Amino acid sequence: MADSNEKVPVKITIILPTNAYFLSGIRDFTLTMTKNMTGFSEQWAYRFQSVVDELCNNAIEHGSEKGQNVKITFISVPEESLEVVVEDSGTGPAKYTSAQMANLVKERVSMMHSQYLGLRGRGLPKIVAEWTDELLFEDIDGGGLRVRAKKYLRDKEDKVLSSTVQTPTHFQLTN
Amino acid sequence: MAQATITFEDLKTDSEKKVKIVKIAGQLDESNVDDEAKKVYAQIEAGGTNLSLIFDFAGLEYMNSKSIGYLTDWYSKVSGSGGKVVIAQAKNNIIDILQVVGLTQLITTYPSIEEAKLAVM
Repeated sequence: MADSNEKVPVKITIILPTNAYFLSGIRDFTLTMTKNMTGFSEQWAYRFQSVVDELCNNAIEHGSEKGQNVKITFISVPEESLEVVVEDSGTGPAKYTSAQMANLVKERVSMMHSQYLGLRGRGLPKIVAEWTDELLFEDIDGGGLRVRAKKYLRDKEDKVLSSTVQTPTHFQLTN
Repeated sequence: MAQATITFEDLKTDSEKKVKIVKIAGQLDESNVDDEAKKVYAQIEAGGTNLSLIFDFAGLEYMNSKSIGYLTDWYSKVSGSGGKVVIAQAKNNIIDILQVVGLTQLITTYPSIEEAKLAVM
Protein backbone atom coordinates (compact mmCIF):
# COMPACT_ATOMS: atom_id res chain seq x y z
CA MET A 1 0.00 0.00 0.00
CA ALA A 2 1.34 3.41 -0.93
CA ASP A 3 2.39 5.84 1.76
CA SER A 4 -0.41 8.41 2.11
CA ASN A 5 2.25 11.14 2.35
CA GLU A 6 3.87 10.11 -0.94
CA LYS A 7 3.43 12.80 -3.56
CA VAL A 8 1.92 11.57 -6.79
CA PRO A 9 3.43 13.20 -9.88
CA VAL A 10 1.14 15.13 -12.18
CA LYS A 11 1.95 14.11 -15.75
CA ILE A 12 0.59 16.02 -18.74
CA THR A 13 1.50 15.18 -22.32
CA ILE A 14 0.83 17.44 -25.31
CA ILE A 15 1.57 16.56 -28.93
CA LEU A 16 2.08 19.47 -31.30
CA PRO A 17 2.48 19.73 -35.06
CA THR A 18 5.88 21.16 -36.05
CA ASN A 19 4.69 24.72 -36.45
CA ALA A 20 5.74 27.75 -34.40
CA TYR A 21 2.14 28.97 -34.67
CA PHE A 22 1.28 26.82 -31.64
CA LEU A 23 4.05 28.04 -29.34
CA SER A 24 2.03 30.87 -27.80
CA GLY A 25 -0.60 28.35 -26.66
CA ILE A 26 2.06 26.15 -25.06
CA ARG A 27 3.51 29.18 -23.29
CA ASP A 28 0.09 30.19 -21.93
CA PHE A 29 -0.49 26.64 -20.70
CA THR A 30 2.96 26.44 -19.08
CA LEU A 31 2.48 29.74 -17.26
CA THR A 32 -0.95 28.85 -15.90
CA MET A 33 -0.01 25.29 -14.97
CA THR A 34 3.20 26.33 -13.20
CA LYS A 35 1.47 29.10 -11.27
CA ASN A 36 -1.47 26.97 -10.15
CA MET A 37 -0.27 23.40 -9.80
CA THR A 38 3.38 23.23 -8.83
CA GLY A 39 4.08 25.53 -5.88
CA PHE A 40 6.60 27.59 -7.85
CA SER A 41 6.45 31.38 -7.61
CA GLU A 42 5.18 33.61 -10.42
CA GLN A 43 8.77 34.53 -11.33
CA TRP A 44 9.59 30.87 -11.87
CA ALA A 45 6.38 30.37 -13.83
CA TYR A 46 7.59 33.00 -16.31
CA ARG A 47 11.05 31.44 -16.36
CA PHE A 48 9.68 27.97 -17.02
CA GLN A 49 7.54 29.44 -19.79
CA SER A 50 10.74 30.57 -21.52
CA VAL A 51 12.45 27.22 -20.93
CA VAL A 52 9.55 25.34 -22.53
CA ASP A 53 9.33 27.79 -25.44
CA GLU A 54 13.04 27.47 -26.22
CA LEU A 55 13.01 23.64 -26.04
CA CYS A 56 9.90 23.35 -28.20
CA ASN A 57 11.23 25.80 -30.74
CA ASN A 58 14.49 23.85 -31.02
CA ALA A 59 12.54 20.64 -31.58
CA ILE A 60 10.40 22.29 -34.25
CA GLU A 61 13.18 24.20 -35.99
CA HIS A 62 16.00 21.67 -35.85
CA GLY A 63 14.67 18.27 -34.87
CA SER A 64 11.52 17.61 -36.85
CA GLU A 65 10.52 18.29 -40.43
CA LYS A 66 7.18 19.81 -41.41
CA GLY A 67 4.24 17.47 -41.02
CA GLN A 68 5.82 15.71 -38.03
CA ASN A 69 5.03 16.19 -34.35
CA VAL A 70 6.88 17.12 -31.22
CA LYS A 71 5.87 15.64 -27.87
CA ILE A 72 5.97 17.71 -24.70
CA THR A 73 5.51 16.11 -21.29
CA PHE A 74 5.25 18.02 -18.03
CA ILE A 75 5.96 16.08 -14.86
CA SER A 76 5.21 17.96 -11.68
CA VAL A 77 5.76 16.67 -8.19
CA PRO A 78 3.93 19.40 -6.29
CA GLU A 79 6.15 21.33 -3.88
CA GLU A 80 9.16 19.30 -5.07
CA SER A 81 10.02 19.61 -8.76
CA LEU A 82 8.87 20.41 -12.25
CA GLU A 83 10.29 18.66 -15.30
CA VAL A 84 9.61 19.19 -18.98
CA VAL A 85 10.50 16.51 -21.51
CA VAL A 86 10.52 17.46 -25.21
CA GLU A 87 10.90 14.85 -27.93
CA ASP A 88 11.48 15.49 -31.62
CA SER A 89 11.15 13.02 -34.48
CA GLY A 90 14.77 13.22 -35.62
CA THR A 91 13.68 14.16 -39.14
CA GLY A 92 14.75 17.81 -39.02
CA PRO A 93 17.67 19.53 -40.75
CA ALA A 94 20.03 19.31 -37.74
CA LYS A 95 20.56 15.73 -36.64
CA TYR A 96 22.50 15.60 -33.39
CA THR A 97 22.98 12.68 -31.06
CA SER A 98 22.51 13.16 -27.35
CA ALA A 99 26.30 13.18 -26.87
CA GLN A 100 26.74 15.82 -29.58
CA MET A 101 24.03 17.98 -28.00
CA ALA A 102 25.62 17.74 -24.56
CA ASN A 103 28.95 18.84 -26.05
CA LEU A 104 27.30 21.65 -27.99
CA VAL A 105 25.74 23.04 -24.82
CA LYS A 106 29.09 22.83 -22.98
CA GLU A 107 30.82 24.72 -25.81
CA ARG A 108 28.13 27.38 -25.89
CA VAL A 109 28.12 27.83 -22.13
CA SER A 110 31.87 28.54 -22.21
CA MET A 111 31.41 30.80 -25.26
CA MET A 112 28.85 32.87 -23.32
CA HIS A 113 31.22 33.61 -20.44
CA SER A 114 32.46 36.64 -22.36
CA GLN A 115 30.07 39.24 -23.76
CA TYR A 116 28.28 37.47 -26.60
CA LEU A 117 26.91 39.61 -29.44
CA GLY A 118 25.73 36.90 -31.85
CA LEU A 119 22.18 36.65 -33.18
CA ARG A 120 21.48 33.04 -32.18
CA GLY A 121 22.56 30.47 -29.63
CA ARG A 122 21.37 31.81 -26.25
CA GLY A 123 18.38 29.53 -25.75
CA LEU A 124 19.96 26.34 -24.42
CA PRO A 125 23.11 27.63 -22.68
CA LYS A 126 21.67 30.76 -21.10
CA ILE A 127 17.92 30.35 -20.67
CA VAL A 128 17.40 26.59 -20.33
CA ALA A 129 20.67 25.70 -18.58
CA GLU A 130 20.61 28.70 -16.21
CA TRP A 131 17.00 28.25 -15.17
CA THR A 132 16.97 24.49 -14.59
CA ASP A 133 18.93 22.19 -12.28
CA GLU A 134 19.23 19.24 -14.66
CA LEU A 135 19.50 19.26 -18.45
CA LEU A 136 19.78 15.83 -20.05
CA PHE A 137 19.79 14.65 -23.66
CA GLU A 138 18.73 11.13 -24.63
CA ASP A 139 18.62 9.31 -27.96
CA ILE A 140 15.19 7.90 -28.79
CA ASP A 141 15.04 4.36 -30.24
CA GLY A 142 14.14 4.71 -33.90
CA GLY A 143 15.50 8.25 -34.16
CA GLY A 144 14.94 11.58 -32.53
CA LEU A 145 16.14 13.35 -29.46
CA ARG A 146 14.62 13.62 -26.00
CA VAL A 147 15.54 16.64 -23.86
CA ARG A 148 14.79 16.62 -20.13
CA ALA A 149 14.96 19.86 -18.17
CA LYS A 150 14.17 19.72 -14.46
CA LYS A 151 13.93 22.36 -11.77
CA TYR A 152 13.73 21.51 -8.08
CA LEU A 153 11.68 23.61 -5.70
CA ARG A 154 14.18 24.03 -2.90
CA ASP A 155 14.59 27.61 -1.90
CA LYS A 156 12.08 29.61 0.05
CA GLU A 157 12.23 32.39 -2.51
CA ASP A 158 11.21 29.99 -5.27
CA LYS A 159 7.97 29.06 -3.57
CA VAL A 160 4.52 30.55 -3.49
CA LEU A 161 4.05 31.72 0.09
CA SER A 162 0.61 30.23 0.63
CA SER A 163 0.53 27.36 -1.77
CA THR A 164 -2.78 26.38 -3.35
CA VAL A 165 -1.53 23.38 -5.27
CA GLN A 166 -4.39 21.35 -6.65
CA THR A 167 -4.94 17.64 -6.20
CA PRO A 168 -2.71 15.74 -8.64
CA THR A 169 -4.33 14.24 -11.69
CA HIS A 170 -2.97 12.44 -14.74
CA PHE A 171 -4.35 13.14 -18.16
CA GLN A 172 -3.12 13.18 -21.73
CA LEU A 173 -3.87 15.67 -24.49
CA THR A 174 -3.20 14.71 -28.07
CA ASN A 175 -4.21 16.26 -31.38
CA MET B 1 0.18 32.73 -33.57
CA ALA B 2 1.64 35.33 -31.25
CA GLN B 3 0.67 38.95 -31.89
CA ALA B 4 3.17 41.80 -31.78
CA THR B 5 3.11 45.42 -32.87
CA ILE B 6 6.01 47.80 -33.37
CA THR B 7 5.49 51.56 -33.72
CA PHE B 8 8.03 54.35 -34.05
CA GLU B 9 7.99 57.93 -32.80
CA ASP B 10 10.59 60.63 -33.51
CA LEU B 11 11.48 62.85 -30.56
CA LYS B 12 12.38 66.50 -31.02
CA THR B 13 15.80 67.35 -29.63
CA ASP B 14 17.69 70.60 -29.17
CA SER B 15 20.86 69.18 -30.66
CA GLU B 16 21.84 67.27 -33.79
CA LYS B 17 20.95 64.05 -32.02
CA LYS B 18 18.22 61.94 -33.52
CA VAL B 19 16.14 60.02 -31.01
CA LYS B 20 13.42 57.53 -31.82
CA ILE B 21 11.07 55.69 -29.49
CA VAL B 22 10.49 52.10 -30.59
CA LYS B 23 7.34 50.85 -28.90
CA ILE B 24 7.00 47.06 -28.93
CA ALA B 25 3.84 45.43 -27.62
CA GLY B 26 2.58 41.85 -27.47
CA GLN B 27 4.70 38.72 -27.74
CA LEU B 28 7.85 38.31 -29.84
CA ASP B 29 8.47 34.67 -30.66
CA GLU B 30 9.53 32.39 -33.48
CA SER B 31 6.25 32.87 -35.33
CA ASN B 32 6.64 36.63 -35.84
CA VAL B 33 10.04 37.96 -34.80
CA ASP B 34 11.77 37.76 -38.19
CA ASP B 35 9.08 39.88 -39.87
CA GLU B 36 8.87 42.39 -37.01
CA ALA B 37 12.66 42.75 -36.83
CA LYS B 38 12.81 43.96 -40.44
CA LYS B 39 10.85 47.08 -39.43
CA VAL B 40 13.48 48.02 -36.84
CA TYR B 41 16.38 47.36 -39.23
CA ALA B 42 14.70 49.65 -41.80
CA GLN B 43 14.48 52.47 -39.24
CA ILE B 44 18.12 52.02 -38.20
CA GLU B 45 19.29 52.10 -41.83
CA ALA B 46 17.19 55.17 -42.61
CA GLY B 47 18.36 56.93 -39.42
CA GLY B 48 22.04 56.99 -40.32
CA THR B 49 24.65 58.17 -37.82
CA ASN B 50 24.00 59.42 -34.29
CA LEU B 51 20.57 57.81 -34.10
CA SER B 52 19.58 56.75 -30.60
CA LEU B 53 16.78 54.34 -29.80
CA ILE B 54 14.56 54.10 -26.72
CA PHE B 55 12.82 50.75 -26.65
CA ASP B 56 9.52 51.20 -24.84
CA PHE B 57 8.66 47.72 -23.56
CA ALA B 58 5.62 48.71 -21.48
CA GLY B 59 3.38 46.50 -23.59
CA LEU B 60 5.86 43.71 -24.26
CA GLU B 61 4.70 40.49 -22.63
CA TYR B 62 7.20 37.94 -23.97
CA MET B 63 10.46 37.79 -25.91
CA ASN B 64 12.33 34.65 -26.94
CA SER B 65 16.06 34.11 -27.39
CA LYS B 66 15.96 35.05 -31.08
CA SER B 67 14.33 38.41 -30.34
CA ILE B 68 17.06 39.01 -27.73
CA GLY B 69 19.58 38.25 -30.47
CA TYR B 70 17.99 40.89 -32.69
CA LEU B 71 18.02 43.40 -29.84
CA THR B 72 21.75 42.74 -29.39
CA ASP B 73 22.35 43.27 -33.11
CA TRP B 74 20.39 46.54 -33.10
CA TYR B 75 22.52 47.67 -30.17
CA SER B 76 25.72 46.84 -32.10
CA LYS B 77 24.56 48.68 -35.21
CA VAL B 78 23.30 51.80 -33.41
CA SER B 79 26.23 52.11 -31.01
CA GLY B 80 28.62 51.51 -33.93
CA SER B 81 27.09 54.55 -35.64
CA GLY B 82 27.50 56.83 -32.65
CA GLY B 83 24.06 56.39 -31.06
CA LYS B 84 22.74 54.97 -27.80
CA VAL B 85 20.22 52.25 -27.04
CA VAL B 86 18.20 52.09 -23.84
CA ILE B 87 15.14 50.20 -22.63
CA ALA B 88 12.22 51.71 -20.73
CA GLN B 89 9.23 50.38 -18.80
CA ALA B 90 10.02 46.68 -19.20
CA LYS B 91 7.99 44.23 -17.12
CA ASN B 92 9.77 42.12 -14.49
CA ASN B 93 9.74 38.94 -16.60
CA ILE B 94 11.35 40.81 -19.52
CA ILE B 95 14.07 42.32 -17.30
CA ASP B 96 14.62 38.85 -15.82
CA ILE B 97 15.31 37.23 -19.19
CA LEU B 98 17.50 40.13 -20.33
CA GLN B 99 19.52 39.71 -17.14
CA VAL B 100 19.99 35.97 -17.51
CA VAL B 101 21.45 36.35 -21.02
CA GLY B 102 23.67 39.23 -19.85
CA LEU B 103 22.10 41.92 -22.04
CA THR B 104 21.50 44.33 -19.15
CA GLN B 105 25.29 44.67 -18.96
CA LEU B 106 25.15 46.23 -22.45
CA ILE B 107 21.82 48.02 -22.50
CA THR B 108 20.60 50.04 -19.53
CA THR B 109 16.98 49.64 -18.47
CA TYR B 110 14.96 52.51 -17.01
CA PRO B 111 11.64 52.31 -15.18
CA SER B 112 10.17 55.29 -17.07
CA ILE B 113 10.31 56.88 -20.51
CA GLU B 114 11.32 60.22 -18.97
CA GLU B 115 14.42 58.67 -17.37
CA ALA B 116 15.27 56.96 -20.64
CA LYS B 117 14.96 60.25 -22.52
CA LEU B 118 17.30 61.96 -20.07
CA ALA B 119 19.87 59.22 -20.68
CA VAL B 120 19.98 59.61 -24.46
CA MET B 121 19.14 63.31 -25.09
